[in-house]
Order: sequence, then structure tokens, then C-alpha cells
Amino acid sequence: MDTRTTTRHLLGLRDMPKSRILGLLEAAESYLPVVKGQASPHDDLQGHIIANLFLENSTRTRVSFSVAAQRLGATTIDLLGSTSSASKGETLVDTGRNIEAMGVSAIVLRTSASGGAHLLAQHVDVPVINAGDGRSEHPTQGLLDTMALTQHLGTTDLEGRTIGIVGDIAHSRVARSAAYALTTLGADVVFIGPPAMVPGSMTELTGHDSDGQSVLHVSHDLDAALPHLDAAMMLRVQFERGANITSDYAAHFGMNAERAKRMPEHACIMHPGPINRGLELTPDVADGSRSVILRQVTCSVAMRMAVLFEQLAH
Amino acid sequence: MPTMADLLLQGGRIIDPASGRDHAGDVLIRHGRIAEISKSSITADEAEVIACEGCIVAPGLMDIHVHFRDPDESGHHDETIATGAAAAVAGGFTSVCCMPNTTPSIDQATVVHAIAQRAAVTDLARVFAVGCGTIGRKGEQAAPIFDLIEAGVVAISDDGDGIADAAMMRTILGLVAATDSVFMQHCQDPTLTRGASMNAGPLAARLGLRGWPREAEVLMIQRDVMINRAIGARYHAQHVSVAESVEAIRAARADGQPVTGEAAPHHLLLTEAACDQWNTLAKVNPPLRTQADINALKEGIADGTITVLATDHAPHPMQTKHTDFASAAFGMVGLECALPLYKEALIDDGVLDWPGMLAMMTCKPAALVNLHHLGLGRLEAGGPADVTIIDPEVVWTVDPDQFRSTGRNCPFAGRQVSSRAIATIVAGRIRDHQLADRCETAVEAIAGGM
Repeated sequence: MDTRTTTRHLLGLRDMPKSRILGLLEAAESYLPVVKGQASPHDDLQGHIIANLFLENSTRTRVSFSVAAQRLGATTIDLLGSTSSASKGETLVDTGRNIEAMGVSAIVLRTSASGGAHLLAQHVDVPVINAGDGRSEHPTQGLLDTMALTQHLGTTDLEGRTIGIVGDIAHSRVARSAAYALTTLGADVVFIGPPAMVPGSMTELTGHDSDGQSVLHVSHDLDAALPHLDAAMMLRVQFERGANITSDYAAHFGMNAERAKRMPEHACIMHPGPINRGLELTPDVADGSRSVILRQVTCSVAMRMAVLFEQLAH
Repeated sequence: MPTMADLLLQGGRIIDPASGRDHAGDVLIRHGRIAEISKSSITADEAEVIACEGCIVAPGLMDIHVHFRDPDESGHHDETIATGAAAAVAGGFTSVCCMPNTTPSIDQATVVHAIAQRAAVTDLARVFAVGCGTIGRKGEQAAPIFDLIEAGVVAISDDGDGIADAAMMRTILGLVAATDSVFMQHCQDPTLTRGASMNAGPLAARLGLRGWPREAEVLMIQRDVMINRAIGARYHAQHVSVAESVEAIRAARADGQPVTGEAAPHHLLLTEAACDQWNTLAKVNPPLRTQADINALKEGIADGTITVLATDHAPHPMQTKHTDFASAAFGMVGLECALPLYKEALIDDGVLDWPGMLAMMTCKPAALVNLHHLGLGRLEAGGPADVTIIDPEVVWTVDPDQFRSTGRNCPFAGRQVSSRAIATIVAGRIRDHQLADRCETAVEAIAGGM
């Protein structure tokens, strides 16, 4: 089988084999010196034009992809929801096919439609890289979170590790993609939040482990979970997606210094950003010694370099 | 127009569920009516003979739940009464009842008259209208139900939406009881389905789609049954999709209430798994559920809780399906493949035999919408000659490109099925047929009256 067909596009992590995840982690790690300015940029993707089709606003993700592309010698063009033809009623598929016809090498897609990346990939020949589609997946975020975590823990073997993902799981593509990658590497994942944000069906997102046990768990009690966590991924409450929180949200599901102390000594605290400071976590924790939030940002460029290289260099 | 030929349907298995008739024999059709039904051969020298050996001769099939998108002031015309009626007769249906979610909606007599006029001009299937329960189907103000009934609507429904307001529901059930009509509820509590596009559960969670909980259906049935206890209106739950709804209907019937339910082909054959990979062809309201629900629907059919089979034929232009799942239109076309799909779900699976299944497509729906008064839904000497001839064995492949409907949105495309209506006779005239080898004279001549 042509190996390209198995790695064509990056749409999600749910069905991504462990070997591909490990390969991307390894490749991304090799790019870290470039990202940090300690090594010269590469030119593997010189001549490639990568389209950032962002039908939903996200400055951070878009900039991260652009920096990654430039570090590999590619150029990028940005098509944003408010300025592209999408606002004139053109469909996602039409827009994608038009961009493809202009000769771009890959399309990085951000959309509010669940399954949007899958839809586009069915209709274009160039690689589609999912930069977040609705509530479905955000695979590069899941990969970079995994990278930041495995770097912190010093191993990519997550057997026996427990990662808490805290907050608005139901709306979160980040939670889904991270959970897929982390469980593929052997971890157990606990989704933690109030019942409306963490419905019981979330335990069935993936298959079960060799003992028939679900590797995904649901908890509505952050305090009870804290001592068991190797990492706490605090998710942003997505008010723009209709998230509703009660006035006691931060008191029960927010990370603060006192809660951080009750985690194991080696445990880290993560957040995909942007942070609602004081809601998901307090500023002292966000900027504190357990936080790996800036490492996540650095990893984001390295991981997106690895993904672009995987999709385009051959 | 040539004189209408007499037709002699020779040697078929004659099944009339209304009377319990099930025997081989001949049916003679003369002047648009059934002249004679006999176990022995009928001699009629002038009649065109249609050889029906190996076929079932049944009362014309009736589908009490279709969407023909006509009238449509927006001018889109995803379907019209003409194309919808052509689809109906192609699928073996001689009578259909159109749901009122048209533009404008069927909430006043003038719209009912317009539909009747277009149906008469089309002159294929009998096309009946279902009137709105509330003005514009908005749930806020009761429609002029006395007027609508007088104008000829055969049932009342806000299909597309359930009537959310309990007091409004009570008002409408009272009017329906007073007119001896039937209320057809689209059972969906809207407060539980905001933004929802498929069955709630692990698959919806994985696909990132808002889930449509089963309670949304059951709660409305339970509420309506409770309201109706003091009223006693005939109440029909449309397109039942979950097991608990079957149980609720069963309980209401055991309590003596005139409550019925209907099942659609897709809810009998497909589960939510069809929505995987964001397959928009499988997006339908109410959504596809689980195998346990399919099993419960079949039990409900077997024990007579669910009494009617109806397609919820819902044509949509394909651009409304070639989009992301949450944005895609709800619904699928059903008229032209319903018969073999019901057969696959119910007869092949041993739930019903042919007479039992045909009852749910003929006399039972006819009685529900008061069309038995016109003699529809049965085969009876002197009655209207609405007859469907069915080849129960013929194997074919569903190909939406061959549909007479303008709708191509069908999740069964490519499915191999068996059984088919090979001739559809309405008021004594063949309106659609696949009779190549079964008629001595040119069938086109018989159908010439079209």
C-alpha cells in the first residue's frame, strides 16, 4: 500500500496509529532548536504555498501554522471567514476547490462545522490539515499537547498515567483530540467538569483497553481527582459556543494554587489558550512553576512543522 | 381522451386485508370501479388482460405522510404535486396525504382548494391535504380547523414541529375530537433538541454533533396522552423512533385511548451508525436510533401497537445535503423504495406476512384519515378501482437517479431489494407500470388514458 494514502490529510487523531503519533512527536522534537532560534530554518518546503482557510477566527493557531510553514521555507496565504467568499454564501467545498485550483499545496482548515475537515478532504486532492472543526477534532492541538506533556514527563510511554481534562468537554474538540492521542499512548483520561459539560457518553469516545475497561472516565469532582493526576489540562470555557456556567464554576472546577498543591509533585498544569484568567485557572498558577503553558506554545510550532513536513515533503 | 378500457387482472393472489380476503383469482375493473372479484376465472371479452400470476393484487397503497413542497411561494419547488404524485404511483401508492409544512402552510381553506386543484390537473395519485393545527405551524394560534375539515383536509398536524404548548395542544385536541378528525403529532419537545442533529449518545459525542435525546419524543407522547384522557380525540404519533414511545402508545391503547403510531422504513432498517463519517443522507427528523429501538418498533408492529406504515417522504435538493452535517437538511425520500424496504424489515424478518403488512399500508391508514368512507384502502365490488399489483420476488437495486421524485436524497441508494409494485391503478386507470411481459396488448394503449 502506498504509505501516502494512510497519512493523507490530518483530519483527526481518533484512528491515528501509535506509530504515526510517535513519528510526529519525534520529528517535532527535532524541530525545537529551529523554533527556539538555536538552529537555522529549513528549506524543505520551499516553493510551497499553504492556505490558512480560517472560517472561524483564531489568531493563535493561524500564526502558529504560519510560523511553522515559514520555518520550513513555505509561504502562506490567509483566508479569513469575515473576508473570504464564505461570508457571501459560498460553501466550504466551493471555497476549498477554488483555493486548490490556484495551486496551493495544502489547506489548513478551521471551521465551526463538525466534520468540516472530513467534508473538504472528500472534495479536494491537496492535503487537508484540520485546524479545528466544530466540536469534532483539533488534531494538531492534541498532538502538541501530547508533546508538551511527554516532554515534561520525560517519556512517550503513558501506560499507568492519568491525565485530567477539566472543563467544557462537550463543546471541546481539543478534549477529544487530546484524549485520543493520550489514550493511544497508554494513558487513562478523566474528563472532569459539571454534568452538563461532561455527559456520561464521553466515556464511549474510544474503544476499551485489553481488559475491556474504558480508558476514558468521567468525574464531577475535581478535588477528588487531583491527587491521582499526572497532568491537569484546563480547558477554556467556550462562551462563544453557547457554554453556560453557573456562578460556582471557578470554585469547583477552577485551578488555583491551593488545588495545584494537592497534585503529585511531578504533575503539570496545561491550558490550550486563550485563558479566561481567574475562571479556568488563577493567574498565579498560569504563570507558576507547574504550568507548561508556554512550552505548549513552543511545541505548537514544532508540531505543526512536523505535520506540514509529513504532508508535503516527498 | 380514449375511452377507459376495462381491465381484467388475471390469476393473481388477491389480498384484501379489510375483508380478510386472500385467495387466487381474477379482478375485473370497469368504469373506474371494481366490477367483480372472483376465485374462479372471469370472462370479459372487451377487457384488457393483465396476467398477474405470481403477483399480489392488493388495494392501492396509501401513504399518509409525505412532503410535496407544494405550494411553495419561494419558487424552489424541491418537489411538486406533479412530481410527488408520479413518485407515489411509481412506488405503488394510489393515495398520499401531504403534510402542511408548505409555503404558505396549509392553514386555511384556500390552500386546501389549491392543492386539490393541482392534484386534479396532475391526475395520477389521489393527493389529500393535512391541515395545520396552528396558524403557520407556529404553535401560537389555533388554525381554523372547522374550515379546514370542511375544505377537505383528512387530518390535522403541525408536522415538522410538535405542538410544544400544552394548553394549545388541549385546544386542538378538542377541535379534532369535535370534527371526528385525527391529530398527527410530530413528537419532539423542542426544548430538548436545540441545535440537535442526530441521536444523542456516544456517536454524536464523537462526531461533535449535538445529540437529540430519546426523551424528546417520549415526553411529548406521554403529555399528549395525559391531556387527551379527558378529550378522547384520535391521536396519531408520527414516525415513531424510540422504544419508549412504542411502550407509551401501547399503554395508552391498553387504557382504551384511540392512540396509534406509525413507522417509517428508515427507522426500521437503519441505525444511527449510518450517520458515521458525517453522512448527511442519514440525517432525518426524528433521527435514526439504535438496534434496540428497531427491535421495539418491530414488536410494536407485531402486536398491533404501531398500526400504520408511512414514508415521511421528504425531498430536498442535493446541495442541502452536500454540506456539513449540522447544516444539512433533515429528511429522505421514500415513496419509490418503501414497499421493498418494508418487506425487508417486516416480512423477510418474520414480523408480518403480506396481508398483515398490506393492512398497515391500506385499510388501517385509510380508516385513520377517514378515507375508508370513500371506499379507499380495500378491494370491494362496487368500490373505487384503486389497485396495486405487486411482484413480491423481483430483485432490483435502488437507484435514486431513476426516481420520478425530484428528490435524490436517499440513504438506500445502491441497496439490493426485492419486491416491487409493477402496476398502480387509480380509479381504474393504470398510472404507472412495469408490465412488459404481462399484458398481451400494448400497455401504453391501456395507460393511454393518462
